[in-house]
Amino acid sequence: CSFLSSEMRFHIIIAAFLWAAFVESRKIRGISSSYKRFYRERKSFLCIDGSKMIPFEQVNDDYCDCADGSDEPGTSACPRGRFYCTNLGFRPHYIPSSRVNDGICDCCDASDEYNSHARCQNTCWNLGQKERAYVEGQMKTLDEGLRLKQQLIEEGVLLWREKQAQLRELQRAAEDLQIKLEEHRKRKHEADRLKEQTLKALKAGDKGKAPSIFRTHFKTFAHFAELFQFTQLGRRFGYRAASISCLLSLTGATTLLGGGHQMDLSKFQNTLWDNFHCFHLVGSLLDYTNVKLSCNCIEHYDNFDLQKKLEIDYGTDWEYLFLNGQCYKLKVYEYMYTLCPFNMVSQKSTAGTEVSLGLWGMWAGPAKNHYSQMVYENGEPCWQGGSRTTSVTMTCGTETALRSVKEPSKCQYIMDFETPVACQPVLKQRGVHSEL
Amino acid sequence: MCCWFFLRRMGPVLLLWLAVCLSGSWAVDKGNFKTCDQSAFCKRQRAMKPGESPYRALLETMELTNTRLTLQLINDNNKVRLLLELYRLQGNITRVKINELKPLKPRYEVPDVLIREPPTEPLSLLSQDENGVVLSLGAESQRVIVSARPFRLDIVEGRDVLMSLNSRGLLSFEHLRMRKDTQADPEAENKEGTDPANPAETVKEEEEKVEDGMWEETFKSHTDSKPSGPSAISLDFSLPGVEHVYGIPEHADTLKLKTTDSGDPYRLYNLDVFQYELYNPMALYGAVPVMLAHNTQRTMGIFWLNAAETWVDISSNTAGKTVFGKMLDYVQGSSETPQTDVRWISESGIIDVFLMLGPTPRDVFSQYASLTGTQAFPPLASLGYHQCRWNYNDQEDVRSVDAGFDEHDIPYDFIWLDIEHTDGKRYFTWDPHKFASPKEMLQGLLDKKRKMVAIVDPHIKVDTNYKIHNEIRSRGFYVKNKDGGDYEGWCWPGNAGYPDFTRPDMRAWWASQFGYDQYEGAMENLYTWNDMNEPSVFNGPEVTMHKDAMHESWEHREVHNLYGLYVHRATAEGLTERSGGVERPFVLTRAFFAGSQRYGAVWTGDNAAEWDHLKISIPMCLSLGLVGISFCGADVGGFFKSPSTELLVRWYQTGAYQPFFRAHAHLDTPRREPWLFGPENTALMREAIRQRYTFLPYWYQLFYLAYHTGEPVMRPLWVEYPQDPATFALDDEYLLGRDLLVHPVTEEGARGVTAYLPGKHEVWFDIHTFQKHNGGQNLYIPVTMSSIPVFQRGGSIIPRKLRVRRSSTCMEHDPYTLYVALDNQRTAEGELYIDDGHTFNYEKKELIHRKFSFANGVLSSVDLEPNAQFTTKSWVERIIILGASKPSMVTLKTADGENQLEFDFDASMSVLTIRKPGMNVGADWTVTLQ
Repeated sequence: CSFLSSEMRFHIIIAAFLWAAFVESRKIRGISSSYKRFYRERKSFLCIDGSKMIPFEQVNDDYCDCADGSDEPGTSACPRGRFYCTNLGFRPHYIPSSRVNDGICDCCDASDEYNSHARCQNTCWNLGQKERAYVEGQMKTLDEGLRLKQQLIEEGVLLWREKQAQLRELQRAAEDLQIKLEEHRKRKHEADRLKEQTLKALKAGDKGKAPSIFRTHFKTFAHFAELFQFTQLGRRFGYRAASISCLLSLTGATTLLGGGHQMDLSKFQNTLWDNFHCFHLVGSLLDYTNVKLSCNCIEHYDNFDLQKKLEIDYGTDWEYLFLNGQCYKLKVYEYMYTLCPFNMVSQKSTAGTEVSLGLWGMWAGPAKNHYSQMVYENGEPCWQGGSRTTSVTMTCGTETALRSVKEPSKCQYIMDFETPVACQPVLKQRGVHSEL
Repeated sequence: MCCWFFLRRMGPVLLLWLAVCLSGSWAVDKGNFKTCDQSAFCKRQRAMKPGESPYRALLETMELTNTRLTLQLINDNNKVRLLLELYRLQGNITRVKINELKPLKPRYEVPDVLIREPPTEPLSLLSQDENGVVLSLGAESQRVIVSARPFRLDIVEGRDVLMSLNSRGLLSFEHLRMRKDTQADPEAENKEGTDPANPAETVKEEEEKVEDGMWEETFKSHTDSKPSGPSAISLDFSLPGVEHVYGIPEHADTLKLKTTDSGDPYRLYNLDVFQYELYNPMALYGAVPVMLAHNTQRTMGIFWLNAAETWVDISSNTAGKTVFGKMLDYVQGSSETPQTDVRWISESGIIDVFLMLGPTPRDVFSQYASLTGTQAFPPLASLGYHQCRWNYNDQEDVRSVDAGFDEHDIPYDFIWLDIEHTDGKRYFTWDPHKFASPKEMLQGLLDKKRKMVAIVDPHIKVDTNYKIHNEIRSRGFYVKNKDGGDYEGWCWPGNAGYPDFTRPDMRAWWASQFGYDQYEGAMENLYTWNDMNEPSVFNGPEVTMHKDAMHESWEHREVHNLYGLYVHRATAEGLTERSGGVERPFVLTRAFFAGSQRYGAVWTGDNAAEWDHLKISIPMCLSLGLVGISFCGADVGGFFKSPSTELLVRWYQTGAYQPFFRAHAHLDTPRREPWLFGPENTALMREAIRQRYTFLPYWYQLFYLAYHTGEPVMRPLWVEYPQDPATFALDDEYLLGRDLLVHPVTEEGARGVTAYLPGKHEVWFDIHTFQKHNGGQNLYIPVTMSSIPVFQRGGSIIPRKLRVRRSSTCMEHDPYTLYVALDNQRTAEGELYIDDGHTFNYEKKELIHRKFSFANGVLSSVDLEPNAQFTTKSWVERIIILGASKPSMVTLKTADGENQLEFDFDASMSVLTIRKPGMNVGADWTVTLQ
């Protein structure tokens, strides 16, 4: 042996290896090393499910004897069998027996097409390299993603606190308003009473008395002015226009009365009486339920929105909070898609109008990864009933962006949304294990 | 698919229409389609009641040559003469042609449907007198009796009348006439008053009587200008002793045709009917004017060769036949005999009718096949499973659906692309974004030995930037409107032209467009689907073309029912020509006519995801099979609406045992690929599809048989048990070939089905459990969701391939398992047909055709085509003998010698399994049980 060059020695080793592989492969084609123990060469072979004993020559003889397919791991004979691709240099895996010798290369080591026309190349090494490069890239992305996620979590916590403080402030303001309203309600009652008195007096023909009653209760009227200011405060709620016009005429009336001038009935009727109608109107608007309504309105417009925002589930660490208020766009063929997380999804064709593809619904990922999918519901109604819905899958990446949009069925959209906050440390661990 | 989707895109343009459509909700809007009363000629003709015919045969004009008899008929009311031609055709067929003796201009005679001028046989005169003539029809003492006054024809065998024509006096022939100004002749009235005694004048009056709708007809907003005036024809047929008639598809109705006395006749007029309703005689997408009549003694057929709008009335009674006259005295006429009377009414053309006289169902199939040809022999892969949807959105979608099948280990052969794959509904093009690299996509499928179908509809977008349109326009190939301009109508692309497929030069050009040099992105695994070829015209009368549109010199009225056949034909020829005539085409069509079987497959159009639609798929395909169109299927799952999971599973189970097996879905429905309903249901659908693939050798053999003989692949039980009246109306079960009986579960929540197993002396084996059942009984079969009740006939041998792979092509070289089901005499027979699966080389005898027989304990394989040359790698891996007893030894004998085989015997089921005989399936061999 010492005479042999190292190169020759290498060849011999290789030949020996191939020979061994050949001898062994005849019987155990298509099984993994962990199953070898079932296929030790003996006189007979027991189906792995224990259902039948057959002569060992009938293993891989291209006829299915075992119900579980275990006698034919290397052929296509058994309907429910499976074939093990060793795929040295890449990932080993099982394929259904029906893919053995079907003329299509399935195993990257070409082992499934040992008796077919298909000219399969061993591509495992290339695939392995690609896979390793890919995994490496993924790992980098994951690391970077997790780093960014940590930042976002920290920012998220801060943001959440800030918003919470805002909310508390607004809630306090709302409570104050509630108290004020309560006061005004009482005064309104008083005004109602006064109104009735005045009307009674007018009806009774005591025309001179009316102005004096009015004067007597001027203070009450002054409260109305305040009331109007209050209503102005709640500008967004519906009665604004009416109350402003009332307020203007009231100012006029106050001036009149404040001036201490005597008023004849006609003047009273022309000015104050009109005002009275105004008061009447406002008064009835501001009955208790309306007060309550206005209160709610205010809450809705000023802090209710915020409160609702803060009620949304932004993940265990509020890591998704920063997405609220943002919008992401993607053009797919002739359509521009917009995703505003926790708010809405829409589609706009180059020519046409914007169509809602859904409003924020809920998180809908599986139990173990709840935050991996969002659902937006109740978009624009569809032609054949139902309304448009969008399901958004969150994937880990270093950027936050909308990556793809599909409409597999009419009115049902699927989006891929990439963001660092979707990166999972668990995933990273799993990934590492499966590749090593 | 129909106009529905289109409407919403057209928006306000067709708002009115939309409102009309909407009002129909989920059912057909019957108001869009004519009833007989709304179709002027049908109303006119139907108003004519049975009675003495005004027609008289002028016996002195009779001429009898070796091949035909001619004779003039005269209408005594108007003195218009007709010419009757009578032919005896080879194979027991009598052809009766009636045309005007001297029509004002030629009347349309349907071309291109008969595969050749049918060869004739000599007719001989048996006797003649002033009342009529008797001619011999050759064999079996068959005679035709021509009675002169009134004219009628009787076909008689021995003492039995098989069929009578004009026995009810409903022969009618509206002769072509000049249009007269009805208001310009005030004298006409006077004449009638002054000279009532002159019969000639009265006759003239009658002739001139103008009814509404003779010269112009308006339906909804459409006016038919009817430049040729009235031209309808009608003839009645009496079928003594017949209570069951079948055929005249396409109708969504039972297999056994119903009488039409209380409603409309069955209508034959190819129409795109949106959301068609079941169990009624309304016209649908296709028309085959062929009716079969059957009783325990005989099966016959009537082929009414006319492509214009046609209505068929059926009535049934036991009323006595009219007196035949002295010459018929010897004919036994029993007044108790049940009788079916049929009446055909067509809008124009001539009477050209083929009386196919059987006497067996098989005889009628071969008679009809000798006239219009047989089923095109399809590529093997097209008998696999087809996955379709309106629409697979882009290449990525196609790739992922394809991958889904592999992931869930479900086989399929074809994935389909509907209209959205095109660049703006311009057929022969691809959407530049969604299908930017079609060859790459097709190569991806080819790598998995799979194929694709892309839709090519006959309406062409009017767009000067569209090459196809420009060429058709510049060559003058479009159908013309009545004013001579190119006919235009609305369809998917908006404004569209309709190529005149009746022109051979147009068809040749169209076929050339499928060439690889013309159809960009096409590859050899791309096939074609012709939809909307009724033709569908969204804004046309009854959603089709105006009858006064022009196909060169003929009005559309004359050729309407042929249009779809021509589209199908031109496309199939294109697919054949692109490979230099080597490869078989595969083309699916929605519209069809007699003869369409020669060009490919048909499906039952836009059905719905409802249990009743699943049920109706059986009689609809059975009816088509009876008239030659074997390659038939219904959209699995239902096109409109969304099926429940149970319905979807049941539909897969049913579709797996129907000839054309394709799932399809409307654009507006949720996805329904078979793995989207949970693992349990995936397993059920996978199993149904896998069963289909194991039976592919049998399907292929049945199609080869259909190609050779015209026998339907999927057939009613009565075809095989013609003397068993219990089978005559069955249409919830059927046979595949002779040997498989299928009773699909088509009831929601079914716990069991009752199947009729025919044949008193036969036995049937459950293909799943091998349980043996006696024939001639109703068998209750308990079912679960996994049950597909299918039985193999005792006495049959069915070759199967049990190694189900990704596609049929992947299974090409796989070994066979022979299922030998013994009858009570312990014998069985079967066949196996093999060729390359995709070329026309079988015409050059590159095939294997074996016959297997089992008798006296010996199973042998004999070559049915000793001159054929083909080799296969496939071998026999297993022989399963059902109803066997246990042998002591099993021996295989081949040219190489003898050897003993291992076997396993299941005594509880009497099933003998012979292990791995291993011989090549193309060789001669015997297996002996001792």
